[in-house]
Amino acid sequence: MVLSFFDQFMSPSYLGIPLMALALILPWTLYPKPTSQWISNRVLTLQGWFINRFTQQLMLPLGRKGHKWALLLTSLMVFLITLNMLGLLPYTFTPTTQLSLNMGFAVPLWLATVLIGMRNQPTIALGHLLPEGTPTPLIPVLIIIETISLFIRPIALGVRLTANLTAGHLLIQLIATAAFVLAPLMPTVALLTATLLLLLTLLEVAVAMIQAYVFVLLLSLYLQENV
Amino acid sequence: MPTSPVNTRIPLTSFGHLITEVKKQLFGIKAPTSVELTGLRKYFNSYTLQGRRNCVLATYGVFAAAAAAYFMRRQNKKEPQTSSST
Repeated sequence: MVLSFFDQFMSPSYLGIPLMALALILPWTLYPKPTSQWISNRVLTLQGWFINRFTQQLMLPLGRKGHKWALLLTSLMVFLITLNMLGLLPYTFTPTTQLSLNMGFAVPLWLATVLIGMRNQPTIALGHLLPEGTPTPLIPVLIIIETISLFIRPIALGVRLTANLTAGHLLIQLIATAAFVLAPLMPTVALLTATLLLLLTLLEVAVAMIQAYVFVLLLSLYLQENV
Repeated sequence: MPTSPVNTRIPLTSFGHLITEVKKQLFGIKAPTSVELTGLRKYFNSYTLQGRRNCVLATYGVFAAAAAAYFMRRQNKKEPQTSSST
C-alpha cells in the first residue's frame, strides 16, 4: 500500500466501523468535571478560570439577550481548541480538517444569527444590508454586494478553519519527510530542515488556538449585529 | 504619536459602515435631516433606518419580479413548442 500525503486527512475507520464519533468524543473525556468540594484541585481551578475569563471577554460587547449564547460559544471554543491541539500529536486524526464538520458548525450557527435578527428586529437586520450614506446610484449595487457578503460568511467560516489546519498539517508532513530523506544524504541540510520543522510546529500550535478563537469570535460578531 | 481622528467604536463586520463613519467624522459629511427628505426620498434613502430597509425590500422586489417574469416567459415559450410537436 503506497501512502500519500493526504492519507492523514482520510476519515478513520476500523473493520468498516467509522471512528469519527470516537475522535469527536475524545475531548469530553479530557476535561475534569467540577466537583462539589469547596476548593478544587489545580487543574479544575485553571480550567474554571480560563472558561470564566474567556466567557466574560466574549460576552462583553453582547447585550443581555446575547448572553444566552454564552454556553454554546464557550463550549464550541473549548471543543475546537482541543480538537486542533490533539491533531498536532503524531499519527492522530484531526476532525477539523474535514470541511463537512466545519460547515456543520458554521452554517447552522450563522443561519441562527440571521434568523434571530430577522425575527426580533427585521428593520435593523434589513437595514444592515445598505451602508448609511450610500450615494443613490450605488444603492442597488451595494445591496447586492452586501447580500453576497452575507451569504459568503458561513462558507468563509468553514473553509478558513479547514484550510488553515489542512495546510499546516500538510506542511509539517512535507518538511518532516524532507528532513527524514535528507538525513543520510546531507546531514547539515537535514538539521536545518529539522529546525524549520520545530519552528513550524510552534507556529501550528499558535494557529490551532487562534483559528478556534477566530471562528467563535466571528460568530459572536455576527450575533452582535442581530441580537 | 498621532491619535486616531476616529473616536467611536465602529462595527468592523461591514466595510460600508466603516466608510460612513470615516466620512462623517473626518470630512463632516452629515446625513440630511428628516425635514430635508421629501417626496420619494422620504421613504427611499440611505440615511434613515426605515429608508434603508425600504431600499433593500424594493431591490429584492425588483429582482423577484424580474425572475418571475423570466420564468413565466420561458414556460410560455415551452408550451407552444410542445403543443406544435404533438
